[in-house]
Amino acid sequence: MSRRLAWLSGSGVMGLSAQAQASGWNMPVGVTDISAEIYSLHMTIFWICVVIGLVVFGVMFYSLFRYRRSRHPEAANFHENTTVEVIWTTLPLLILVGMAVPATATLKKMYDTSDAELDVMVTGQQWRWRYEYLGEEVAFTSNMSTPRAQIRGEEPFGEHYLLEVDRPLVLPINRKVRFLFTADDVIHSWWVPDFAVKQDTIPGFVNENWVRINEPGIYRGQCAELCGMDHGFMPIVVHALEEDEFDAWLAERRDEAAEEALGVDRDWALEELMARGEEVYGAICASCHQVEGQGMLPTFPALAGNERLIDDLAWHSDTVINGVSGTAMPAFRSTLNPVELAAVLTYTRNAWGNDTGDTVQPAQIAEQLAR
Amino acid sequence: MWQVIKSVLAAFFGVQKERQRRRDFEEGRPGHFILVGLGAAAVLVGLVVLVAVLVAR
Repeated sequence: MSRRLAWLSGSGVMGLSAQAQASGWNMPVGVTDISAEIYSLHMTIFWICVVIGLVVFGVMFYSLFRYRRSRHPEAANFHENTTVEVIWTTLPLLILVGMAVPATATLKKMYDTSDAELDVMVTGQQWRWRYEYLGEEVAFTSNMSTPRAQIRGEEPFGEHYLLEVDRPLVLPINRKVRFLFTADDVIHSWWVPDFAVKQDTIPGFVNENWVRINEPGIYRGQCAELCGMDHGFMPIVVHALEEDEFDAWLAERRDEAAEEALGVDRDWALEELMARGEEVYGAICASCHQVEGQGMLPTFPALAGNERLIDDLAWHSDTVINGVSGTAMPAFRSTLNPVELAAVLTYTRNAWGNDTGDTVQPAQIAEQLAR
Repeated sequence: MWQVIKSVLAAFFGVQKERQRRRDFEEGRPGHFILVGLGAAAVLVGLVVLVAVLVAR
């Protein structure tokens, strides 16, 4: 458990590594070959623009000064010079093509997702990211961990205010990782500047991108497509580990997932479910239904003292598992596993004075999910 | 015919001599320019597709 906690609270452990010594005025060089290439393209084009600007404004100001009215009271009167027109049409054409050639070469590399050594499915949800290591039986959601009190201004901001999560995405360095991007509800965008990856995640579509990270470290990003109320509260944190550390981490997660799967079959005590449920509730539910279950009317109903919830377990579990279409309540059947679902149901049925005394067992939920 | 092609290409490029323009308007037939223009547009599209295919290979 302590290892798990250490991992959960991972942010800050590795400290500020190679990430950006950037001034903040420019885009970061980043930590992949592609991001460095994009940076140098950006700088090349920037300097081309500077030269063009200097020449154009230089000629303009020179002409203004040299042919000012006090020196040349008689205006010249000429019309049309085909040679000059040809030059000022051809020159930009050449400059544009000259910029397009290296840009296209880089673009081709960015889209080449072949020969990946690891596939990660990234799913945007309102308002969190879900990561699935395809073929590895490892999947989890990553929620912002900045305390609500900081957001409400009741506590001073932490160092990584709004850029910290409970479970970061963990990736190996020096391996080609392919991302498959999609979304469950609306369009989100997965953006990590240090990887030069900003990819829309669209419901019903799968977009691809890839990284090969050169430096271990912690890299942060945000959702870059306005996606609703908590758009600003679904940050991305990536821990890039040395290859052997990553393999050990992945094995540990696999064991954990297997252990969790076993947990479905045994009977859970009320206290156990309550403790786990509080964790899940805080990470998933509290952003809408609030920490004390008081909700936020009119959109988010209160759970504390909610009579239908207290009286009707079947309706309650169906609501959480399948969502309610036409409302902001999403389906959690694929986001949470049976243990988490059972725990959060038990928690909401017993917390804040909803003292039903019900324990919802993971096995029950697994059965309901299979139906 | 050659004059029409030259004028259409000049139009695609965006620069034309005043002398040529006058002559086109005095002697040319609009239908010729339209036909050659459509043909040139098709050639341009073909060229862009060709470049894209070559680059994407």
